[in-house]
Amino acid sequence: MEVSNSCSSFSSSSVDSTKPSPSESSVNLSLSLTFPSTSPQREAKQDWPPIKSRLRDTLKGRRLIRRGNDTSLFVKVYMEGVPIGRKLDLCAFSGYESLLENLSHMFDTSIICGNRDRKHHVLTYEDKDGDWMMVGDIPWDMFLETVRRLKITRPERY
Amino acid sequence: MNYFPDEVIEHVFDFVVSHKDRNSISLVCKSWYKIERCSRKEVFIGNCYAINPERLIGRFPCLKSLTLKGKPHFADFNLVPHEWGGFVLPWIEALARSRVGLEELRLKRMVVTDESLELLSRSFANFKSLVLVSCEGFTTDGLASIAANCRQLRELDLQENEIDDHRGQWLNCFPDSCTTLTSLNFACLKGETNVAALERLVARSPNLKSLKLNRAVPLDALARLMSCAPQLVDLGVGSYENEPDPESFAKLMTAIEKCISLRSLSGFLEVAPLCLPAFYPICQNLISLNLSYAAEIQGNHLIKLIQLCKRLQRLWILDSIGDKGLVVVADTCKELQELRVFPSDVHGEEDNNAAVTEVGLVAISAGCPKLHSILYFCKQMTNAALIAVAKNCPNFIRFRLCILEPHKPDHITSQSLDEGFGAIVQACKGLRRLSVSGLLTDQVFLYIGMYAEQLEMLSIAFAGDTDKGMLYVLNGCKKMRKLEIRDSPFGNAALLADVGRYETMRSLWMSSCEVTLGGCKRLAQNSPRLNVEIINENENNRMEQNEEDEREKVDKLYLYRTVVGTRKDAPPYVRIL
Repeated sequence: MEVSNSCSSFSSSSVDSTKPSPSESSVNLSLSLTFPSTSPQREAKQDWPPIKSRLRDTLKGRRLIRRGNDTSLFVKVYMEGVPIGRKLDLCAFSGYESLLENLSHMFDTSIICGNRDRKHHVLTYEDKDGDWMMVGDIPWDMFLETVRRLKITRPERY
Repeated sequence: MNYFPDEVIEHVFDFVVSHKDRNSISLVCKSWYKIERCSRKEVFIGNCYAINPERLIGRFPCLKSLTLKGKPHFADFNLVPHEWGGFVLPWIEALARSRVGLEELRLKRMVVTDESLELLSRSFANFKSLVLVSCEGFTTDGLASIAANCRQLRELDLQENEIDDHRGQWLNCFPDSCTTLTSLNFACLKGETNVAALERLVARSPNLKSLKLNRAVPLDALARLMSCAPQLVDLGVGSYENEPDPESFAKLMTAIEKCISLRSLSGFLEVAPLCLPAFYPICQNLISLNLSYAAEIQGNHLIKLIQLCKRLQRLWILDSIGDKGLVVVADTCKELQELRVFPSDVHGEEDNNAAVTEVGLVAISAGCPKLHSILYFCKQMTNAALIAVAKNCPNFIRFRLCILEPHKPDHITSQSLDEGFGAIVQACKGLRRLSVSGLLTDQVFLYIGMYAEQLEMLSIAFAGDTDKGMLYVLNGCKKMRKLEIRDSPFGNAALLADVGRYETMRSLWMSSCEVTLGGCKRLAQNSPRLNVEIINENENNRMEQNEEDEREKVDKLYLYRTVVGTRKDAPPYVRIL
């Protein structure tokens, strides 16, 4: 069952969750005695809170996250050919138009829904069955239920 | 002394079922020992390293059912490395060699290989029941051997195991002649399921009472399965993410309505909320409901379902139900005996207002008079709440409270939670299992030692100030069997105060405490009937024996009583002193 502590309130004192340098390690060690669950070892070991692996994995795979009365739905977004992706909260958008606008801005290029052509990047998504589909065919609400991640394809070159 | 012939005494013993009672019987006199051991059918071994298979078989040649437990409890939380031990193969090999008529094998936290399963399936003609809980090391190929070769198989129950799913056809391996299944649970399998094979199997298993599917079994298949198994008592459903089309939904509802014997429901890993109403018709019959994996369902949907479950005795749920939801449970489920509330936010990503607090706990204790077991994860607690809970529910047998933030005090008074837990142990005279959390000083252990006379298992994390804490417990709780401690400042003085005590217990676990290598060595010195294991995965710390520093703290200590000495199968990072 696992832990990542970056948002915990009790870690608000400046415990850095990245690996400590040798000179900092003694400071971090004493801090980790006061705030044990912020120790970098614990993050890696995933032994607190005491829940079983299966539950931990289930919770990790969870997409919907409640924040107060809102929900967020974070999915990964990759540009084809670029190894490092981004993460996006789909609940922040009202529909496909605002999604495309935002993505175009984020990746600094024009992105469309629809058929691949030589000029534009086309947005695709992986659905819950693991299939890659064109974005835009189904109603937005249904899309939110089924989308797992997004991929922006490169323009086709003949 | 014996006025009756042995057969009569044996017949009387047949009525004595509990292991504890049979163990007591065998101590009365030699004659009873002999009669008892030859007639014992079920043997329970709480620690597979306390005894070896040869001695087991020597003493109980007629055994039919064996339960074995391997790794210590904290292995569930990644505190024990995978290769630590608990291998079942030597046991199966020995049982096979000795021609014991094994019919049932129940394993918990053991390493099971495909080879073991294959051997098991071929060695015991009457084998009927395999229950694996939190085990690892096998694949669906092993399951295929069990399916194919165990002609009398009634029960195959896989709970929370790590199984490598080869996406094979293990379900196809049940021969057409196999019609004896009463229980099939493969919920923990991660891969695809041959649904057609499953349907055929269920159709030819008229005695099937318990069926727990994995996530890969779709909704329409569920409807068909339930239609041909309306006699089901216990059902674990798969994953239904998509909102069902009206026709599928109608079929599901029809099928569910026919399952009037259904008493227990679980699964729901991913459920589109609109699927839940299909289950409303049978809610009134449910006595057990496990929604602890339903991470995607929001609290209000859960509440609607639970409101219909008036006969519920056991409820496992996520804290997304909220205090509001627990108030509904308290109002609705008057027969509730066991409640487990698991955390849904382990990464600290969410706002606090969604989860459960002391309010929910108090409501449950006030509303559910039959409550005797609770596991409760929450972000905050108060002494006042615990005192109220103790007053409302003096009948607790198991009380496990886990406050997610270590060392967190009473959030209103900022004091430690000693008084709250003190109230619990004082009121609950039958308490057998306790887990404590939050800010706790030595005082809470004084209370535990003083009042928790029936306590058999105690779990301590991030608690206490000095060795006195641990000493209070060891001196006071005479019935203690399992003590597990992590991240608490207990050291050698506590560890060594009464070494003989550990032979009256099954095991002691101490990790990230203050015990040193020297202390452990002294402990092991005069204790031939204890195995003292030091687990040290950090390669850099392993020094030559003449270089080692006895003042060095031991990362993980696990000690247990045994009559067979040091085990030979330990990996290199486990040192047995």
